[in-house]
Formats: sequence, structure tokens, C-alpha cells
Amino acid sequence: MSHDEDREVVREVLAGDDSAFGRIVTRWQGPLVSLAYRFTRDPGRAEDLAQEAFLRAYRTLRSWREDSAFSTWLFALALNLFRSELRRIPPRTVSLEDVAELRDGRSEIPGVEQSDRDRAVRAAVQALPAKYREALVVFYFHRSDVAVTATTLGIPEGTVKARLHRGRELLRRKLTR
Amino acid sequence: MRDEEIDRVLGGEEDILPSSGFHAAVMEAVHREATAPPPIPFPWKRAWPAFAAAALALVGLLVNSSAAGPPDFDSLIPVAQSVGAPWIALAAAATLGSLLLSRRLADERY
Repeated sequence: MSHDEDREVVREVLAGDDSAFGRIVTRWQGPLVSLAYRFTRDPGRAEDLAQEAFLRAYRTLRSWREDSAFSTWLFALALNLFRSELRRIPPRTVSLEDVAELRDGRSEIPGVEQSDRDRAVRAAVQALPAKYREALVVFYFHRSDVAVTATTLGIPEGTVKARLHRGRELLRRKLTR
Repeated sequence: MRDEEIDRVLGGEEDILPSSGFHAAVMEAVHREATAPPPIPFPWKRAWPAFAAAALALVGLLVNSSAAGPPDFDSLIPVAQSVGAPWIALAAAATLGSLLLSRRLADERY
């Protein structure tokens, strides 16, 4: 489904055809659940959040101005919802102490499994302050696209780059402690 | 840990798929939303006369007080205390505070 098709479906929904919203859900359910999962690390809660985001999108569909892509509007709306819900009930995070301690990548410890390292990195991202966590999660979710990340977060590209830089720095510090 | 490794781990993460019932659950919620009765609108038609009267009274008070010269606030303090103005102000502030808090909580939820 292209941007034009998104626009067409939204117009159908606004004209009273609620079942057309199903096409929006079909198209965006995967990305929205995945984005929620990257924040929660809990598949059940990710689906709850994504469902709530779709419902909010349905309620406020009229506020999409069509000057930006529908996906941009949808992700920004979802992110606002995830932000407030995660502030209300923070996700359970894995303590870094529970995961194998890491050293600098140039001198990797033998025996530390790759999956452990990956889990450690993700746990460390969860433990970052919200603004750095959001920047990193959304940046990698959007396949490292700074411009789209900036639009989704509603901040300038320069700020995204600064937060990514600082976020990586904090990650490195946490993971080499 | 180098940036390349962070990029590899976070950039290489696979997307997860929604469960089989997710689409149906969302559409059911949408349908419920669509068929729910609309929220009761604020009764602006009934409220406007009261707002207008309050505004007129305020303007009248300002005009009167400016015509009578600079206000003597010290003389107003005993009068205000005799009618319980501090308690009224406290109650109004508490009402406003609870209103703002409930709106904020409702905004976060919806």
C-alpha cells in the first residue's frame, strides 16, 4: 500500500466506512507491534500498546493533515502513547549485573556467547534515560534514518544526532563497567 | 564496545509478528468505539449567559474602582476575612488543581 492508498483509506474511514480501517491495521500492525516491543521487551504488552495506538489513531484520524506521510503521523502518535504509558507503568528491565559483563570489543572475552552480548546491549538500552533510549530505539527501528527519526520524535535532526552520540557513549560506559 | 557492535546488535534486530488474533482484537475495539454514544458536549448555549454576566460584572467592578481612585487594599483585608475569602480562595485553588490534574491524567490515558 502506497502513501496515496493510505490517504484513500483514511478518507474512506472518515466518510464513515469503519471497516476500511482494517486495511490500515493490516498494513501497520507489524511495524507498530515491533516498535512497541523494542520499548517493552514484552510481546503481550507490546500488542496492548499497539492496539491502544491504533484506537487512538482511529479517534484522531481527522488530525492527520496529509502534509506528511501517514506512517510519520502514526508513529509519532504511537510514540507519544508509548512514552506516557511507559512512564505510568515502566517496563521490567533486566539488570545489567544479571548479564555477562562486557569488555571493549577489541578484546572480547572468550566464552561469552554472542546472544548474551546482544541481550546485554538491549538491556543497557532499556536502562538509558528516556530521551536517549527513544532516540536509539527509533533510529534503529527506522533503519538508521536520521531524518525519519527526527520527524517521528518531533525534534531537529541535529538533536537526534546529539542524542544518538550521547546515548552510544552511555551505552559504552555501561557495557564496559 | 564499539559503535559498530552497537549498530550490529540494535540494527540487526528482527521485527516481531503480531499474534493471530491481534487484527481482530483491534477491529473489535474500533467497532466498539464507532458504535459508542458520543460524549455529552459542554452546554455552551446555557453557559454563555452566565459567562457574559460574569464578564459584565467584572468590567463594572473595574470601571467603578478606577472611577473611585486607587483602591485601598488595606481596608479590604478585614472585609475579605469576614466573608471567609481565604477559604474560598483555597477551595477554588483546590478545585482548579484537581481539575487540571484530572485533565492531565485523562489526556495521558486517551
